[in-house]
Amino acid sequence: MKPLTSTIAVEGRHIVKDFRLGETITNVLKDVSLEVMQGEFVSIMGPSGSGKSTLLYILGGLDSPTSGTIRLNGTDISHLKDEQMSRLRRQKIGFVFQFYNLIPNLNVEENIMLPLLLDGRKWKDYKKKLSYILELTGLSDRQKHTPRELSGGQQQRVAIARALIGSPEILFADEPTGNLDSKTGAEIMHLLHQINEESKQTIIMVTHSAEAAKSSSRIITVRDGMVE
Amino acid sequence: MRIIIKYILINGKEHKARTAVMLLSILISSTLLFVSFSLASSYESAQEKMARGMSGSATVSIHAPGESDSLKIEDIPVLPLISAKVGMLKESCFYHENGYYETVDLIAADLSQLDEINKPRLLDGRELKDFSGRKIILPDRFTLKYGIKKGDKITLQIGGNPVCFEVAEIAAYDTVFLRKTRGATALLPLSTLSGLFNRTDGYNEILIKPAKGVSTADLINGLESVLPDGRFQVSEIINETQIKADARQKSMPFFLISFFSLTISVFIIYSSYKVITLDRLPVIGTFRSIGATQKAVTRILLLESLLYGSIGGLFGIPVGMAVLKLILHGMGKSLPQGIEIPVVITPFSIIASFTTAFAISLLSAWIPVCRASRLPIKEVVLGTVEEPSPPRHLIIGSGSILFLISIFVPKLVPENMLNLAGGFSLSGLIAATILIIPLLTNLVSIGLEWVYGLLSHNIGRLAARNMRDNKNITQNITLLFISISAVIAISVVGDFVNTYISDVFKGAELQGFADGQMTPEFVDQVKNIDGVHKVLPLFVYKNELHGNGVLFSRLEATDNLEWYNSMLALHYTKPLMEEQAVSAFAANRSILLSESCLKRTGLTVGDTLTLSNGSAAASYVITGSFKSRATDVEAVIPCSYAAIDFGMKNYGFLAYTATDPDGVMIQIRDLFGNTQNWSRTVKEFNEDAHSTVGAFLKPMHSLTYFILLLAAIGVINNLLINYMQKRRTIAMYHSIGLSIRQNRRMTVIESFSCGMLGAAISIFVSYMEIRTIFIVAGPKITMEPALSARTFLMAGASGILITLSGSVIPIIKSRQMKIIEEIKF
Repeated sequence: MKPLTSTIAVEGRHIVKDFRLGETITNVLKDVSLEVMQGEFVSIMGPSGSGKSTLLYILGGLDSPTSGTIRLNGTDISHLKDEQMSRLRRQKIGFVFQFYNLIPNLNVEENIMLPLLLDGRKWKDYKKKLSYILELTGLSDRQKHTPRELSGGQQQRVAIARALIGSPEILFADEPTGNLDSKTGAEIMHLLHQINEESKQTIIMVTHSAEAAKSSSRIITVRDGMVE
Repeated sequence: MRIIIKYILINGKEHKARTAVMLLSILISSTLLFVSFSLASSYESAQEKMARGMSGSATVSIHAPGESDSLKIEDIPVLPLISAKVGMLKESCFYHENGYYETVDLIAADLSQLDEINKPRLLDGRELKDFSGRKIILPDRFTLKYGIKKGDKITLQIGGNPVCFEVAEIAAYDTVFLRKTRGATALLPLSTLSGLFNRTDGYNEILIKPAKGVSTADLINGLESVLPDGRFQVSEIINETQIKADARQKSMPFFLISFFSLTISVFIIYSSYKVITLDRLPVIGTFRSIGATQKAVTRILLLESLLYGSIGGLFGIPVGMAVLKLILHGMGKSLPQGIEIPVVITPFSIIASFTTAFAISLLSAWIPVCRASRLPIKEVVLGTVEEPSPPRHLIIGSGSILFLISIFVPKLVPENMLNLAGGFSLSGLIAATILIIPLLTNLVSIGLEWVYGLLSHNIGRLAARNMRDNKNITQNITLLFISISAVIAISVVGDFVNTYISDVFKGAELQGFADGQMTPEFVDQVKNIDGVHKVLPLFVYKNELHGNGVLFSRLEATDNLEWYNSMLALHYTKPLMEEQAVSAFAANRSILLSESCLKRTGLTVGDTLTLSNGSAAASYVITGSFKSRATDVEAVIPCSYAAIDFGMKNYGFLAYTATDPDGVMIQIRDLFGNTQNWSRTVKEFNEDAHSTVGAFLKPMHSLTYFILLLAAIGVINNLLINYMQKRRTIAMYHSIGLSIRQNRRMTVIESFSCGMLGAAISIFVSYMEIRTIFIVAGPKITMEPALSARTFLMAGASGILITLSGSVIPIIKSRQMKIIEEIKF
């Protein structure tokens, strides 16, 4: 167990999320409250349909709650406008998805640099950072390849590199090993663990895998829309 | 089977927009094709009607060799080849109104004989009775023009004397009253006309209607074999082959429209099917996993395309009929002759349009469907399908080679292969460009990345980068290229046909002409009119001179071949011929023959030809051959030798240039006084011709809108497909911080770049297409097409505009996008 700082990185209060399917309203999240401290590596686990991914996306600002508040490093993101939310995603948040979500016609280094480019930053100012991230994720020899020329594990590494390039305060990962075989999955988890250990990166990860969850410092279990 | 049809119908219902776009594109293609075919047939029929004019159902005409000789109806023996015959007496006079002289051709015939061949149609629908004495029947076009009513008296100038007639009836402007030239035709009682012109000994012409099933050629052969040599000239009234060829030339733009509309449709359906099959991969996988064979899957998917083809094709034909009627109605109204154009719908046009719509739907779906049904079941079920594509260098190499071949083939093949080569070249240029577009897009995106980087920093750079290796973008550019190049090619060819047919004096120096009998003193008076620069008087021999037994319909003699060349824009077969002819004309008995006349006589340049008018003959050396759109002359000889050999004193035609051609024309008309003449400035002549031909070509402009509509549908279809395929990418961008505003900027920059590149490619390729079209048409035309940069730029700009406006939907849709839904699955 690594020492944690006492600052709250993510704070969710009374989060409710309802989905309407025709006439039926489904309560996916029912008054969820939680806190994640800076430098913490938290795994959110739970059975299918429990609402764990929805919770992650709401915490990460990709979805909005029906009610409740979310604070990222003290900033209430519940009522941010698109422009402010987008900037937050570029500067403070990194996301890793199960299906990598890379831009197929951009090569590895272009995919990694995207958040910075969208933020108006210059490529040349981040050359060193890019080299470091490529080294860290083991992609130095793959930087000119396009996603379709990479294996699943390599694509996930690119996604992690992209999430890290802007030095985000919080890294969200939605089942990062869900689409990988166990060996590759273990390698990705090792990488995330290493990042958390070395740079005290806050990570919130949704996973089905108890093995993957072992890398984290805390496990939050969601069942029937509530945190246990 | 019922389940499959239910499945197909549900698919259609679930994807309403896509189904509507596909059906609409097939419907419009089928409509366009049907209208093109039918317009060509209707136009041919109208041309034939105009060409037949007063001949009605007669196909052969018999003249006496000399103008003053007469024919008697009894001269023509009773033959089983003949169904009916009528003797026509024809003379000319003037109608004078407000200082303007209009030529009126007076005709008369035995009415019972005339009724059998071309019965005049009276406006009130009654039968013609008690038609004798100083009575006249005039066509409504003439009476409406001058406000003349039935029972009115009108005065005609006959041989310089006023003769008064009572308007006995007003007839419809058709049958014997229909004419190809200006002026009017009036029907007089036979005894009245023969009495006025003292022609009681017979007719000028006898018209023969063939018996049922007898061809014109057989009738001519039959008549020539029984009629004594030299006393009768038997000729075909209309050259049906020529009419068909003329009509085909004028309907060329319509076929071009069909060609391009089909290309666009194929592309729309093909690209839609690519997406449909991609969408249906899970269903295909399910079908295959429960035991459906490759064939069965192919059949199910193709059945759907057949359904689209049949519905679109079937509805396209009634829509086409409505469009055709609308267009032809408009055409008939705007024709100065007031000729009603018959709506000709042939079974061929119906079957061909439907079959083509059906076939393009089937064939366009074939490749993507077959490819999808061949995919390995495991990959389809697991969603791990990787579409194999041929190596890029192979595609680009093939495209470049095909492009070059398409450019050069029409230049290299012999004349009789030109149509085939032209078709290959047009299709080849389009196909090759489609193959090369991905490479061009990549190259341009590299340049744009740099430019946009300077102008709009990272967003512009990313937008340009996003164009590289992006199938959606290349698909958009391809569709835009097909649509814009279609619009450019159709506009240019249409405008050219319009100019070519209506502006026969294009390139000719003359600004006005007078056609009538003119003494040398008359010509001197014209030369002395203020502001006159050049006057070119010509001796004219109409059907008077034979050359080695071949009768020249028009032979002219000039004393200044250089002026003749420039005034009437003669195009010599070989460049050196002009100089040789000018020097030969000054020294020897020389003759120039039109290319068609040279072919008809079977002679070649350098041969000697004996010109004869029956009483005198002289040998002339053929010094050159030419083509000219400004004159229908068959042969030209020097004035000095014409006067010596054939004794001509008065001129029959005069061309002039002047500072004020209109002012000079007024004075020329004054000089003619009451003498018969046909004098016009080139401007007046062109205005008349333009209003006639322009009316025929109006439908082409209407159809261009259909092409634009089809192109717009295609672009919308593509943008929808593009958005569907891009949703996930846009969501990915949003998930890493792309804001709505940034997305809007990126989409607009991307659309603008697509439009710009599409427009640039279209402009270049359509220029090559136009060159091909004119190389193919080249041997038949004598004029270079004038290409207006405005047409190209306007079409290009509209392409950019379409793409830009098409980006509105994706921008709006992506605002409402739920990121999670798009990226999670």
